[in-house]
Amino acid sequence: MVKRHSPEETKVAMHGVVAEMYDKMVKGEPPSMTLPVRTKNNIGFDSKLGVYKYGKKRSTRDATSLGSAKQLLRTLHVVEFIEQMIDAGKSSTLREMYYISESWGMGKFGTQNDSNNLAEDLEIVTKCLREDFKLRSEEDGARMIGNLTLRERNRRGEWMRINARDDVGDSGYGLPYNVEEEKIELLEHDIDFIMAIETGGMFDRLVENGFDEDYRCGLLHLKGQPARSTRRIMKRMSEEWDVPIIVFLDGDPWSFRIFASIAYGAIKTAHISEYLATPSASYLGITADDIMAYELPSDELSKKDIEALNAELSDPRFADTWWQDQINMMLDLGLKAEQQSLAKYGLDFVTDTYLPEKLKELGLA
Amino acid sequence: MGIAQKLADNQKQVAISEFFEKNKHFLGFDSLARSLITAVKESVDNSLDACEEARMLPTLKIQINKIDAKKDIIEMKTTDNGPGIPQKSVEKVFGQLLFGSRFHAIRQSRGQQGIGITGVVMYCQLTTGRPTHVRSKIATEPTASVVDIGLDTRKNKATKSNAAREIWEDENGELVEHGLEVTCRMKAKYQKGRQSVWQYLRMTSIVNPHADITFIDPEGEVHHWPRVTERLPRIVESIKPHPRGIHLGQLQRMCNESQDSRMTVFLRGNFSGVSSRSAKELCEASEIGEKTKPKGLKSEQIRSLLEAMQGERTIAGKPVKLLNPPTNCLSPIEEMLIKKGLSKTIDSRFISTMTRVPSVTNGNPYQVEVGLIFGGSMAADKHVEVLRFANRVPLMYQQGGCLLTKAIEAVNWRQYGLEQAGGKGLPKGPAAILVHLASTNVQFTSEAKEALADNAEVMEEARKAIMEMGRGLKKHLMKKKKMAKTQEKFELINDILPAIAEKSAQILDRPIPDLAGSITKIMSAVISETQTTWNKETKMTDVSVVLFNYTSRARSYTILCTWPEKFGATLDNNEMGGRKEATGVWAWKLATLDPGERITLSYSLGGLEKGDWTETDVFYRGSQEVIGATKMDEKFLDEIRQQEKALKEAGMDIVETRESLLDSEPVEDKSSDAEPTEVVSDEFDQPTIEAPEGQQTLFGGGN
Repeated sequence: MVKRHSPEETKVAMHGVVAEMYDKMVKGEPPSMTLPVRTKNNIGFDSKLGVYKYGKKRSTRDATSLGSAKQLLRTLHVVEFIEQMIDAGKSSTLREMYYISESWGMGKFGTQNDSNNLAEDLEIVTKCLREDFKLRSEEDGARMIGNLTLRERNRRGEWMRINARDDVGDSGYGLPYNVEEEKIELLEHDIDFIMAIETGGMFDRLVENGFDEDYRCGLLHLKGQPARSTRRIMKRMSEEWDVPIIVFLDGDPWSFRIFASIAYGAIKTAHISEYLATPSASYLGITADDIMAYELPSDELSKKDIEALNAELSDPRFADTWWQDQINMMLDLGLKAEQQSLAKYGLDFVTDTYLPEKLKELGLA
Repeated sequence: MGIAQKLADNQKQVAISEFFEKNKHFLGFDSLARSLITAVKESVDNSLDACEEARMLPTLKIQINKIDAKKDIIEMKTTDNGPGIPQKSVEKVFGQLLFGSRFHAIRQSRGQQGIGITGVVMYCQLTTGRPTHVRSKIATEPTASVVDIGLDTRKNKATKSNAAREIWEDENGELVEHGLEVTCRMKAKYQKGRQSVWQYLRMTSIVNPHADITFIDPEGEVHHWPRVTERLPRIVESIKPHPRGIHLGQLQRMCNESQDSRMTVFLRGNFSGVSSRSAKELCEASEIGEKTKPKGLKSEQIRSLLEAMQGERTIAGKPVKLLNPPTNCLSPIEEMLIKKGLSKTIDSRFISTMTRVPSVTNGNPYQVEVGLIFGGSMAADKHVEVLRFANRVPLMYQQGGCLLTKAIEAVNWRQYGLEQAGGKGLPKGPAAILVHLASTNVQFTSEAKEALADNAEVMEEARKAIMEMGRGLKKHLMKKKKMAKTQEKFELINDILPAIAEKSAQILDRPIPDLAGSITKIMSAVISETQTTWNKETKMTDVSVVLFNYTSRARSYTILCTWPEKFGATLDNNEMGGRKEATGVWAWKLATLDPGERITLSYSLGGLEKGDWTETDVFYRGSQEVIGATKMDEKFLDEIRQQEKALKEAGMDIVETRESLLDSEPVEDKSSDAEPTEVVSDEFDQPTIEAPEGQQTLFGGGN
């Protein structure tokens, strides 16, 4: 189970990684680091946690090739850098760390992707969280609107009470990169569910139409593939307030993946699925049969779309009948549709007709 | 008598000046751009030939000036440091077509291809009406002679004017000892690019590494190709015509001019390859009495003789047996010098060269040489540059129709690592391919003498040479790949691993661990690093071979290195001793190398010039693979030794050792620490003809 680590615990965990390398060298072996295999072939459902986690497959990164040796050296630099940040009470973005690595000589990163992956590797082997490492991504945090109240500790260390309906403008309350308890406390709410929305256009439509008040819900803009903080706050709201999470996305293979990462856990972050995923989340639409039922304007599936759908068919997260049916149906149709295609029937169609009908199916309206 | 005098006395005359006016398009004066190149070419060829015959190192200066851009009037001024021409011969040399010793002598020479400097004089006369100004100084006279030479094309006679003597000083105000300067004006166009004076001189410089050439173009830019060797091309002997290569007209003339009293004497004395027995047989086959006087032969008899000579008339169904003509009339550039010539002109990473053994086609000795230069700043996405030469003269036109180009196109370059659309045609890649044909009688497709005519034997020789070179390229590319891999491993253990050790120790606050064990596990191989470098101070080529044992067991090896023994190099500072394994192969039995240990083998090569020897091939004997060296295939050594023995028994020195002997290419390993692989080799050809002296192919060199 993922848990937060104190600065001391974090250091000890990181030293464990360094010690693996060091001890190998003392034994006259190439230094190495052991990692779980991070592909869909090595994730499995953890029935205790209700989410998908990495399986038992391990790979060893050892210094027998130049690339791996450099990666180990980078890992050491990152460990050193994190220790320095912990001691100085600072944090940095992954991008900043990438630039800081310019001074690491042979240990500098080749691309920013390298630094992102390495941070994840470290999380996985230490079981710490990125937040423990004082690293954050530049991911765009979500925004929320609705009658829910929380408090956030601002830069000066003071707690600010914010109601996400009364205290914010039309763009809503913007979530910070850290949504942990030391930063955000969920206080109270008067909503029946939270609707997570893929696109900004649809979020704004629902705000303009007053959907949050009419249907007593919180609206949350995912901004495409949701950031870790976005998934984390959904998880917290779902657990601490016991409100259902309803996910409203485009109707295409990529939206299915977004939903899987929200509900079951993402492959890349399967080591912390129980910390990020909300297994109770429901997929509202757009479903493959919505395209037919509502005669939505649609586009033909591209070659990449078809590949993605086929990959999803063998993805353990989509192994249930409902998803298999949806995916096969979309493949048969050969079509996909955007959320905003609902505007075919007028600006209010989505709030007056589509969503109420879909929510009724889910038993929420 | 001075050397220049001697040369001039040798000259005979042939009257065909009228021929020129009607046929100037055949002679390289067909377009304004080409006329200028031809003029430069004739002048430069003359200078190089004169210097070569006089055994002088040529220093040439060529200057082109635009006199009247509108009317395309160009002035050409060429200066050499050659023997000069005696005053009384200047007129003849510059005023009569096909005047020159080489027209009648059978040997390889540059001028064979041109109509000569007279053509330039004539072209100038015809296009500008101006005579050519000649300044000549011979060593035995205190002053230079100057004269303006014009031409009366009708009478095949030179017209001379303004003859005088003067003191000749160079630009530094020093007296010129000997030399020739030609200044002339002609209607011509100066162009840049593939077919330009610049390209002609660049190519000339490649095949004449002993020449120092300076070119000042019309914009005043100075292009300099320095001399890279002091070695002059060897003296070529004139040979008598070989019966197989003779033509009717020539045979008729020889018979008519003969003073011999009997056929057998005539045949033996005037032809090469004719023994007294074959002289008798030729008479028999052509049904001419042995005692017949050659001068009195009737034309049918001469025709019969020609048929007998060319094997069309037989004795007992067999053509008359003739010996091959001697091949010491050829002057190949030789591999090391091609290498130098190419590398001074073209920036590159790799050069492979190959000089084939001389051979004979239709009674004419010939020899093919090839060079391939790869990498550096050459364009990777274009066709390779083709550098064609006949008797050291660049061929710049009609590339597609030339035998030498066809030979390149007939090779499957993909197998050697160059791109080639459809597996035929000119390959693409950052490379230039040089092909040189040296022959006493170069057969061209036309009088323009820009493309070599098809000849199956020559084509096969050229193709074989090119393929051999291609194998050299492939070997180089594979070696490079392997070296990059080894280099990575070295970076890993020399830089990255110590950094990992240091950083992890620092983070954990523990001592830096010893890395010997880890290094052995990571490398798990024996690795050799070879360096061949020119030592400026000692003027020697220093070679060092370092062997690292990164395995967990003690290893023992014998290391064998190639060295240019044939080229007269000496093995110096060889403290490890060792012994000679074969010509050009030295072997050292090394002490047992414990795990983690290294051993350095070093020696110097004397008697070489800079750039002569830049890469040493290293072989090993031992059970564990050595990365960076090739496992010695004993079959090759045996073959070298057998060849040495055979030649010794035949009373000959070793004249030729083919690079292919050690040109073994290991099958590419799947991993760096794979088992030693079987070595595949190329077929080994025994040389069939004794190569002339100085004709040497370096054993294992060429990289």
